[in-house]
Formats: sequence, C-alpha cells, structure tokens
Amino acid sequence: MHGYGISVRIEQMSKGVFRLNAGSLFLAIQRLERDGLIDGEWKPTENNRRARYYTLTAKGRKRLDNETREWGRQVTAIGRILEAS
Amino acid sequence: MSLFRNFATGLWSLFRKNQVDRELDEELRAYQEMAAEEKMKQGMSPKDALRAVRLERGSLEITKVVVRSGGWEFFVETLWRDLGYALRRLRMAPAFTSAAVLTLALGIGATTSIFALVHAVLLRSLPVANPAELYRLGKEPRCCYQGGYSQEKEFSLVSYDLYKHLRDNTKGFSELAAFPSLELLFGVRRSSSSEAAQSYPGEFVSGNYFSMFGITAYAGRALANRDDQPNAPPVAIMSYRLWQERYGLDPSVIGGVFEVDGKPFSVVGITPPGFFGDSLRSSPPDFFLPLNTEPYVESDADLNKVDTHWLELIGRIQPGANAASIEAEMRVELKQWLRSHWSDMSANDRARFPEQTLYLTPGGAGITGMREQYEHWLQILMMASGFVLLIVCANVANLMLVRGMERRRQTALSVALGAQTSRILRQPLTESVLLSLFGGAAGVAIAFACTHLILYFAFPTFAGFARVPISASPSKPVLLFAFTISLVTGIAFGIGPAWMATRVDPNEALHGSSRSTAREGSLPRKTLVVLQAAFSLVLLSAAGLLTAALQRLENQDSGFVQDRRIVASMDPRLAGYRSDQLPTLYRRIHDSIASIPGVSSVALCQYSPVGYGWGAGVWVDGHPAPGPKDDNSAAWDRVSAGYLDVIGTPIVRGRGISEEDTASSRKVAVINEAFARKFFQNEDPIGKHFGTQADNSRQYEVVGMAKDARYLTLDKPDGAFFFLPEAQADYSQTNLGSLFLHDIVIRTRQGARLSGAQVRQALASVDPSLPIISIRTLREKVATQLTQQQLIARLTSLFGVLSLVLASIGLYGVTAYNVGRRKGEIGVRMALGASRGGVVRLVLRGAFLLIAFGLILGIPLSLATAGILSSQLHGLNPYDPRRIAVAALILAISALIATLAPALRASSILPSQALRDE
Repeated sequence: MHGYGISVRIEQMSKGVFRLNAGSLFLAIQRLERDGLIDGEWKPTENNRRARYYTLTAKGRKRLDNETREWGRQVTAIGRILEAS
Repeated sequence: MSLFRNFATGLWSLFRKNQVDRELDEELRAYQEMAAEEKMKQGMSPKDALRAVRLERGSLEITKVVVRSGGWEFFVETLWRDLGYALRRLRMAPAFTSAAVLTLALGIGATTSIFALVHAVLLRSLPVANPAELYRLGKEPRCCYQGGYSQEKEFSLVSYDLYKHLRDNTKGFSELAAFPSLELLFGVRRSSSSEAAQSYPGEFVSGNYFSMFGITAYAGRALANRDDQPNAPPVAIMSYRLWQERYGLDPSVIGGVFEVDGKPFSVVGITPPGFFGDSLRSSPPDFFLPLNTEPYVESDADLNKVDTHWLELIGRIQPGANAASIEAEMRVELKQWLRSHWSDMSANDRARFPEQTLYLTPGGAGITGMREQYEHWLQILMMASGFVLLIVCANVANLMLVRGMERRRQTALSVALGAQTSRILRQPLTESVLLSLFGGAAGVAIAFACTHLILYFAFPTFAGFARVPISASPSKPVLLFAFTISLVTGIAFGIGPAWMATRVDPNEALHGSSRSTAREGSLPRKTLVVLQAAFSLVLLSAAGLLTAALQRLENQDSGFVQDRRIVASMDPRLAGYRSDQLPTLYRRIHDSIASIPGVSSVALCQYSPVGYGWGAGVWVDGHPAPGPKDDNSAAWDRVSAGYLDVIGTPIVRGRGISEEDTASSRKVAVINEAFARKFFQNEDPIGKHFGTQADNSRQYEVVGMAKDARYLTLDKPDGAFFFLPEAQADYSQTNLGSLFLHDIVIRTRQGARLSGAQVRQALASVDPSLPIISIRTLREKVATQLTQQQLIARLTSLFGVLSLVLASIGLYGVTAYNVGRRKGEIGVRMALGASRGGVVRLVLRGAFLLIAFGLILGIPLSLATAGILSSQLHGLNPYDPRRIAVAALILAISALIATLAPALRASSILPSQALRDE
C-alpha cells in the first residue's frame, strides 16, 4: 500500500477520527523502514504514476502481533479500572 | 541488526543525498497529487484541490524537512554545513582568526610541551615487553649502599647473597633480575686501536636481565645466565647509541675485544635502539656487563660481601600470579635469610630485626629516582602553563564576544525567522572549536620546539655520553593530549559567547540602532578581564618568588669561595692504578699543577663541592655507644694538605689539614661546626677523639674546626662533616674505593688566566693515559646544581610575561571596544564641557576598576600558590607582601600602557564629528 493509501485507509477505518499529517506519516514510514519492520518498493499505480508501496516484513508482522496483544491487555486493564471507579 | 540497518541507510542517504532527496520528492508529490485527485473527483478545481490538500495535510516543503531531520545523518549534514560556514566566516576575518589562533597556539603549546615532559618522566613505562608484569623491590628510592643486617623503614637494596636467596626461593617470579643502584662509569677502549680510554656510563646486570625485560639483542646476542657465572669468559653488551655514534654500526664490533677499566671483554651483542636500561636517567648506560664480572673489573668489589646491600631488584611475575602474595612470600624469605646470619649481626641489627620488612611496587617504569626528583617541579610547571591556558581562553572568549556582538542583528534575524536555539548555539561553538583545533595544530609545533629547549636546559649533557632518553617529537599520547585540550579549550571559551548569542531578543536587536550605553552587554567581557588580571598576578608573583629563591641560592654564603677556583675531575681507577701507586701519583699531580704559572695553590680531594660525600657512623671517645635508634651519621671527605685553604673554607678553631699530617704522625681529623654541635655539644672539640668503627673510638684526634659550609647541597648547610688527610690513608687496604681521589682543586693568582689546555698538559706530563672527566671553574660546577631551579624560574617567568601580555591585550581590547561604542556619549560629554583630561580619566578609571577587582581576586590566589611553592623556596618567606606588591605594580603599569592608547583616542574625539555620526 502506498503512503496516500495508508492515510486514507486509516482515516476510513477510524471513521475520520485520525487524519494524518503528511509529516507525521512519512516520518513514521521512514522509521519503520529503517527498523526493518516494513519494506518499500517502487511500483506503477493504477493511474500510471510511480509510487512507493509498503508491505509488512516478517519481523514487522511479529512486532505488530506483539504490540496488538500488548495494546489489548492495556485497554482491557484500563477498561476495568474505569469500570471499577 | 536494525541499528546496523539504520546506520547503513543513514550513510546511504548521506552519500546519495541527491537521489534520496529526489525519491522523497517524488513520493511526496505522488501523495499530494493522489490527494488532490480525490478532491477533484468531488468537483474542486485543480488549484483549489491543491490548496485544500496543503491545508489538510501540511505543506510539501515542511514535510520534507520533518522527514529528513528524522535520521541521524541530518545531524552530520548540518554539522558539515556549519563547518563550511564557520571556515568561510573565519577566512573573512583574517585579523581575528590569526590573533585567536596565535594566542591559542601559545597557550596550547605551552601546556602540551610541559605535558610531554610529564608524560615522559612521570607517566611512561619502560620500552620493554609487558611492563605491567614488572615489579620492583622498594617503595622509596634509595641510593647506593646499605651495610649490615637492618634497613630503615624497608629493605629496598640487597646484597648479591640475599638476591640469590630471593631469586631461588620465590616461585611467583618468572625472572628476578638484579643491578646496582649506583650509576657507574667505565673507562673503555677498543683493544685493537690506539685510542685513549674514554669514560662511558655502564652497569653490571644479572644474567637474566635482558630476558626479564623481554629484550632481544638488536645484533649479536643478549646476556644469558651462563655469562653470569664466576669463571665465565667476560662478555659485554653495547648500546645501540654508542655502536652507531662512535663505531658507525661497524659489524666487527660484535665479537671485538674492548678493555673495560683495563680488563678485556668481548662485546657479544647490541641492545635494541629504544632500550635505555632499567631507569630513566640523564645519561643511560652504554655497557652492560654480567654481575659476576664485578670483582674482575672493580678493585673494591661488592659482589661477595654478604652484608653490603647495593643491588636493586626488578622481576617479571608469572602470568596470573598475585604480587601481594609474592610480597608476603619474600618477607618470610627475608626473615629466613636474616636469621641465618644471626651470628654476624650487631646488637643494633638484632634489636631492629622484628621490624625488618620489604615491599614490592609496580616496576613497569623501572627505577624511578628521576621521577621523584622531577615530580614536584613538573607539577609547578603544569600548574603555571594551566594558568596561561586559562588566560588564553579568557582572551579568545573576549574576541568571540565581540564577534557575537557584531553578529547580533544577523542572529536576531535568524531567531525571528524561526531558527532553532540549538542551531544558533551550534554555529559559534563550531567556530570556536574549529579555531582551537587550528590553534592546537600550531601549538603542537610550538610544543615540539619548546620541549626541545627544555630538554636541553633541564638535563645537562656530557660530550660523548648518551642524551636523556626523552624525545621531543610528540608521541601519540601527547598528540591526544593536545587534541583533547584544544577541544576542551574551544568549548570552554566558546560556550559563553554562544550562549549569549541565543539570548538575543530579536525585537530589541532589530529595532535598536548602534546607539548603546557602556554598561549593556559588557559585563561578561569585563569579568574575563578581571579573571585574566587575577591569573596573571598569580603567575607573576610565583615567577618573582621562584626567581628570588634562585638568586638567594646563587648568592648565599656557601662556605667556600667560587672565584679563581678551577676543578679538574679525573679517575685514576679507570687508568688501572692500584692503591699502593696512589700516594706517588697524587704527589706528582700536585707538583705538576703547582708549577703552572699563575697557580697559587692546589689540593686534591675525593669530592669537591657541590655534590657528593661519603657517609660514616661516628663513635665518640668517652661517650656511651649510640643505641639502635640514635643517629650517629656524618659525611666525610678525604683531602690533601691545604685543601680547606685552597677551597676557601675558614678555620674557626685549631688548624686545617696540613703538611705536618703524614703517614707516621698521629691520625687527625678536622670537623665542621655542625659536627661539634652534634657530637660534642658544649665541650671543646679540639683534642677529643672519635672513630668510625664501634670498637675504635680513638681512631682520630680532632685538631681543627672549619666553618659550616654547603658541600653536599646548596639548599641547606651540611650536617656533621669531617675531613681526613690523604697522607694518613691506609693504602694497604687494597683498592678501597675511598682511596681514589677524583677532584683537583686549583686556586689561581689574582689576574692570572689559566686555560684547560694547560691543566690537561700538566696532567698528561704525569700520565698521558689518565682519563680527565672534566675541567671547569668551581662556579660552573656549582651552577650545574642549579639548572633545575633556573629552569623553573625561567619558565615561570616566561609564562608570567606571556600572561601579562595576554591580559594587557585583553584589557586593551575591552577598553578600545568600549571607547568605540561610547563615542557618541563621549562626544556629548565633551560638547557639554568635559575636558580632555577628564575623558582620559574616565576611560582609565573604568580600566583600573577592572584591575582592582583582579587584584582583589588575585591576591588570595597568589598567597595560596605561594603556599604550594614554599617547599621550593629554600627558606624564603612565601608570604612576603613586598613581592606581591611588586607583581601588582607590574600589572598596573602594563595595564596603564594598554589603556593609554584608547584613552587618548577617546580624548581626541571631536564632539562635532561624534554627534554627526549619531
């Protein structure tokens, strides 16, 4: 998926709650790529333009699973705390 | 892995900056266009769509900067840009740059050259394999002989017998080597040549000496244990230095036969070029002979005397061995050895037996006698050069502050346009670090020349001898030191001005014209001048103190006369004389020199002042024998008839050594006043008896008392000292060392001129093969004792003058700058009727206020420094207020000179002109 695709996707999934600034988006992409979590590749788009497409690497997939699990744990925990109060 | 990847991509984007930029550009543009297309699908015009995207997602340029500054390579890139910028700016201000670089070079050069010495003398290990594995016997240096079976504080010198006992029983050492503590001279000549014997420093060493150090021969072979046996063929190792300088690397030297003190030795090997033996000395040894050849060479051999302790020990411990447990093991061995000699021990030795112990200390630097000797004065010089460096920092910081002021508007503009504080801070800092690195590079060159000069003055050389093994060319640690100190200096003087730059208020800076009052912004600069004045007062007063102490040493009453005295040093032992031939030799030398026209009198002695003396224990007739804790030591000299008269030491009671003291007359001695005070207290010493052996206290009768003098050291008067007549020496004691007289003291007639050649000729007429070590005036000989003090005094004075010049330049700079800025104000004052004198006073008052603050700060600092120096002052009062007053006066005068020019310039301002400039 290319940069624009990612930002549109995030916007759609979050129902417009997260609208990414280009600066934040590409800085994050650069960091993820340098950490070896995603891979980038130049490909033509459907409109015959060149764009950089990003895919998760195996390492990135593992990290995502870990982070998702951790996030889930934290959300549940915070949810419980809030319920109790 | 990911760290490496981060680094690799960073490098990639550094070196392929254009490509990476292009790709980022393309990607972002694609992103923007896709977003815009989306908007256009919703019916916006292309222009509106782009605008909307920019508003929503941020502008393309800012995004690019944000993404780029995310990587570490961004830092390197901006640093690179800052460097280029700083270089350009420095090139544009050549006057400033060269002034700053020169100042820095002086400061860094001075500090580095002193550090080079500190490194060579105090920090460096011997150039041998794994110096960390070496340990030596003894904590404190001790020279040269210890007799008996007890040593004060620690057993640090050993006899050959004790060495063998320790070597054979200590398991923890892979090798334990021994060599004498005394520096020896050998008279050497090549057997095949007709050359006269020449004296060279040399050393007896145990057979494992070279293998212990891990040193292999440069040519031929090193000594081995088989060479160090009682009946082994005599072999010697020569230094590379001598081989090269004297024999031009002639290969036939190896295997050649050389006569050492008249005894043939074959040279079997050459030491490697950098090797200088077991200790740093001003003249490293040129010959290494096996210990067991000592009785073969030396007439008065020490090797087989069980209770004469004269050897130093250095050993290499086994890998993994523990020095502390080896030390404990050796202490037990020492006690065993002492116990096995219980029957030979004196009552005092036995009483001291329980406290006898020994210590092992790290020996990687060898025997560090020189270290102890030079440590204190190197510390003083290091401190002095540190002060110079501080003043240099203050000076350059001042220059930087002025530049910062000039750049205020530019900086203000940058701040107004949104420059980050860190970038504003970094720019001047880059500039100052760059300056100090340039200064450091130039400083290394200065340091090289300086170290060369100091080495020349600090370590006296003798013709034909090796130089002190300290190289002036900077070594790696010295270069590292210079680099570090440049960096630190750069940050030290740069950080203040850089920080000031970040505090610029853009509004004020852009608004205000050049109009400003005197006070604003000049406080830091004034503080720096105050500090400079204070530091330079410290240096000036220290220089004054050290110079005064030196003059005191030079001009004090030494107790002997230096004018019209010539000292010729020789060594009859090197020419192979036996003790029974000596009385005739001395008589002939005396007569031959006395017949030179212009000579009024002449006498021989073992040692003329200033330097050496033999030590002895004294037993006084009719007094109880001294106990184990009592000090009964005295120094003594063997002299020929009339010596005290020739050297000019007055006799206070009785008579001196004279012609009436012959081998057959009663044995006499002349003592000094300190001897009388120490051993006879209130009694009249004349006619009393004393001896130098416990069982013979009637050995000598005191016939005279000489005035106290400084024969041993110039620092303080000698303690108990006595003179024995040469004619009464017991020449039947075969080759006793003290029978050999070394110095001929010649007193010339008023107005007579005596050349060294005449003395040489007179000696050659007695025996052409007699080696003459030196011929010089007594004044020259005494002066060599003062080289260290002279050097410290001169260098500190040099540093003092340097600091004074720098501080004056600093003061001049501040005053001139302030006058420039206050031009308008002064113009107004003059227009309102201020006189020229009034303006001059105004400017001078400002400058002298700074100096006054400097004095307030500097006086307590100077007093503290004087306290540190007090051990070097030889009784001079370190807190003498007059000296500080003189230093303050010098400072004030140079301040006046420095400020007069700007003050006069201020007074010549034309009010009309100044007001028009407003």
